[in-house]
Amino acid sequence: MHIPDGVLPLGVSIAGYATTAGATWFSLKKINQREDPREGVPKAALLTAGFFVASWIHIPIPPTSIHLVLNGLMGVVLGYYAFPSILIGLFLQAILFQHGGITSLGVNAAMMGIPALLAYYIFNLRIKFGKKDSKTWTNVTAFLGGALGLGIAAVIAYTLLITSIPSYLDATVEKASILAMTLGYLPLMLIEGVFTVLIVNFLQKVKPELLENE
Amino acid sequence: MKRSTLLISLAVIALLGIVTTVFAHGAAIEYQIESTVHITATYDSGEPMSEAQVAVFSPEDKQNPWMVDVTDGNGNFSFTPDVSMAGEWDVQVRQAGHGDMIHINLNDTKGSDGAFTVSQIVVMSVSILWGLIGTALYFKKGKKA
Repeated sequence: MHIPDGVLPLGVSIAGYATTAGATWFSLKKINQREDPREGVPKAALLTAGFFVASWIHIPIPPTSIHLVLNGLMGVVLGYYAFPSILIGLFLQAILFQHGGITSLGVNAAMMGIPALLAYYIFNLRIKFGKKDSKTWTNVTAFLGGALGLGIAAVIAYTLLITSIPSYLDATVEKASILAMTLGYLPLMLIEGVFTVLIVNFLQKVKPELLENE
Repeated sequence: MKRSTLLISLAVIALLGIVTTVFAHGAAIEYQIESTVHITATYDSGEPMSEAQVAVFSPEDKQNPWMVDVTDGNGNFSFTPDVSMAGEWDVQVRQAGHGDMIHINLNDTKGSDGAFTVSQIVVMSVSILWGLIGTALYFKKGKKA
C-alpha cells in the first residue's frame, strides 16, 4: 500500500502534498472546535503506535505480501484525529524503514487518511439514523468503516499505479501484478473490518466514552 | 653450384612452408576482465522479488534504461556494465508498484540500499512506541490536573 519514492511522477507527488495539507488543516480545525482538543490526544497517540507497527504484520498473498493497514480502524475510533495520526505514522515509517517514501508521503497520507475520514462518517451513520445504541448498527457500521476505509485506499493506489507505469516497463506484466496485489486487499478488507468490530466492541465495554468523537 | 643454389632455395621454400604451417596452428588469446554486477532483490518481509522487472540506467542516461530484464525466481539478476562509462549505475527493481532503486559504484565490491538489521528495527520501533505511549500518558495526566 505504501508507494515508494521514484514510482510516481513529480506532479502527482506535489498534488498529494497539497491534498494532505488541505486535509490536515481541515482535521486540525475540526479538532480545535472541540471543547477540549487535548482530550483525544492519548487515544490518538496509542492508535498511531498501533498503526506504526501494523505495517510489520505481513500476510502473504502472491505476487507480494500484504501488510495490515488499519486506516479504516483509525478513522472509526479516532474521528478527526485520524488524519494527523496517519500522517505522523507514515512519516515515521518512511524515515525509519523506507516504508513508503518522503516524496510520496503526501500521496500516501491522502490515500490512506481521506478514506479514514470516510470510515468515520460511515461509523457515524448509526447516530444519524438514531441507532446509536443498537448493537447491530454499531457492528455493521464499524465493519463497513474498517473494510471500506481500506478498500477505498486500495482503489486509489490501484488508479495511481496503473496510470503511472513508465514506458520502459512491460506494461502488461506490471498491470497484471498491480491488479493481483489490489485483489489481495479483498481478504484483507474482511480481516480489518472484523478487527474494527472487535476493537469497537472492546472499547464499548471498557471505556465507551472513547468512541464519542462528536 | 647451380644445383646447390636450387637445393638451398628449395630448403628455404620448405622452411617457409613449415613456418607457415606453424603460424596456422598458433593460437592467440586475448583477455579482458569484465565485472558483473549481481543483484538480489527482496521485499522487506524477506521474500524474494521473483520475476520483477529490472531497469538498468547507465551513468550517461538516467531517463532511458540501458537495459531491461526480469529477475529470476529468487529475485536474482546479473548484468555486465560497460566500464567505459564512468560514474554511478542505477538499477531499479519494480513489481506491482513496489520497488526500489539502488545506485552502484563500480569501485565498490559490495553494497546494499541501507536495509536495517532486525535488531535495529526492533530498537527503533520500541523507541517510537515508547514516545507515543509517553505522549498518551502526558496528555492523560494533563487532563486530570
